[in-house]
Amino acid sequence: MVRSTETSATSESVPEEQTTGCYVYGVVPAEIEVDAEARGVGDPPTPVRSLQHGRIAALVSDVSLDRPLGTPHDLLAHEELLDAAAAEVPVLPLRFGAVITDDEAVVEEFLRPNHDEFVAALEELEGRAQYVVKGRYVEDAVFTEILEENPEAARLRDEIRDLPEDATRNERIQLGEMIHEAIAAKREADTAELIEQVDELSVLSVVRQPSHEQDAVHVALLIETSRQAELEQVMEELGRRWADRITLRLLGPLAAYDFVMTRQGDEGWD
Amino acid sequence: MTVQPAGGGAAERRTGSGLADVIDSILDKGLVIDAYVGISLVGIELLSIDARITVASVDTYLRFAEAVNRLDLTDKSKPGLPELVQSVKGGDQAPPEPPEPQKLQKPKTVIQGSLESAGERLGDLTDERDDGRRKKLRRTERPEEG
Repeated sequence: MVRSTETSATSESVPEEQTTGCYVYGVVPAEIEVDAEARGVGDPPTPVRSLQHGRIAALVSDVSLDRPLGTPHDLLAHEELLDAAAAEVPVLPLRFGAVITDDEAVVEEFLRPNHDEFVAALEELEGRAQYVVKGRYVEDAVFTEILEENPEAARLRDEIRDLPEDATRNERIQLGEMIHEAIAAKREADTAELIEQVDELSVLSVVRQPSHEQDAVHVALLIETSRQAELEQVMEELGRRWADRITLRLLGPLAAYDFVMTRQGDEGWD
Repeated sequence: MTVQPAGGGAAERRTGSGLADVIDSILDKGLVIDAYVGISLVGIELLSIDARITVASVDTYLRFAEAVNRLDLTDKSKPGLPELVQSVKGGDQAPPEPPEPQKLQKPKTVIQGSLESAGERLGDLTDERDDGRRKKLRRTERPEEG
């Protein structure tokens, strides 16, 4: 299935001749200082600025409107800026691709009307950041494990192994489906174990959809940044225990992409 | 808006590891600007990114079948019972060195190899973050605090 991230909306208020817009990355507390070297999306990338209103600020940069956004550089620039912010301060990340006409509109239409809501959300995130744990099954190890645990699969494999592929297509599909189901069951069990291991550490957790057919675990955690060392220790231990069957990675601190929710009961503007 | 677990992202894609991680996070998660801004929203064209939902397909099944057919189960690295017994006997005669790893010599090497690399991976990631990324922003003093 293909999902394309097409243009979200077109505004009548944008003059035809407008060639630049204000790209918005996210919302942070007002008292942050952006490094003069920080560059954002677009080609060439422009400096990142902060637009303040009251106790909050939007991280923005100018972007040319005559070129589509979404190159690898654009995607990385968006996340790297937000993750760098998340390592220091609470941050409300926007979904990739948010552009507003100009600085004034960012303040007047985005920050001012939503000030209190954003302040409250930032307070909830104070001292916390997102971490993502990704684990991928080690191919041969997991398949060996599965054959050892599933006599039926092992029998089928032995039966068709030395036969020509064309003659055994249905059996191969059947075998593959058994493997697939076994991996799904393992994923569920291993994810449950991971969640149990980090339960005491995490404020919130979300099990993400697998992004690969051999994904073992894919979980987003909201954690007090002061407990990062504890999280790393738990992951080291789990990684050691799983070393021969799962390759484990820990990403973070990241912006809380999985834990900010667009306000309810508002599906956006028509 | 509230801070709470959002629904898991459904659409994903495989590319280089760094970019794949980014795509997992920023395309379908985070606040949606449309819910907060009306007339000043600029619709900019976004490059369409083919994001695949991981669904089981016949291709997947055939790939799995091929992978298990390739496995050589006779070449197991785990020690059989006789090997174990032998090692234990050897352990009795040997001086009281750490006995546990001695028993499983062959697998020990294998496991330790993967273990070290897993440790390195975790270390690399955290180091990387410490080095560059945090420098982009810093918190200034809040006058009202203190």
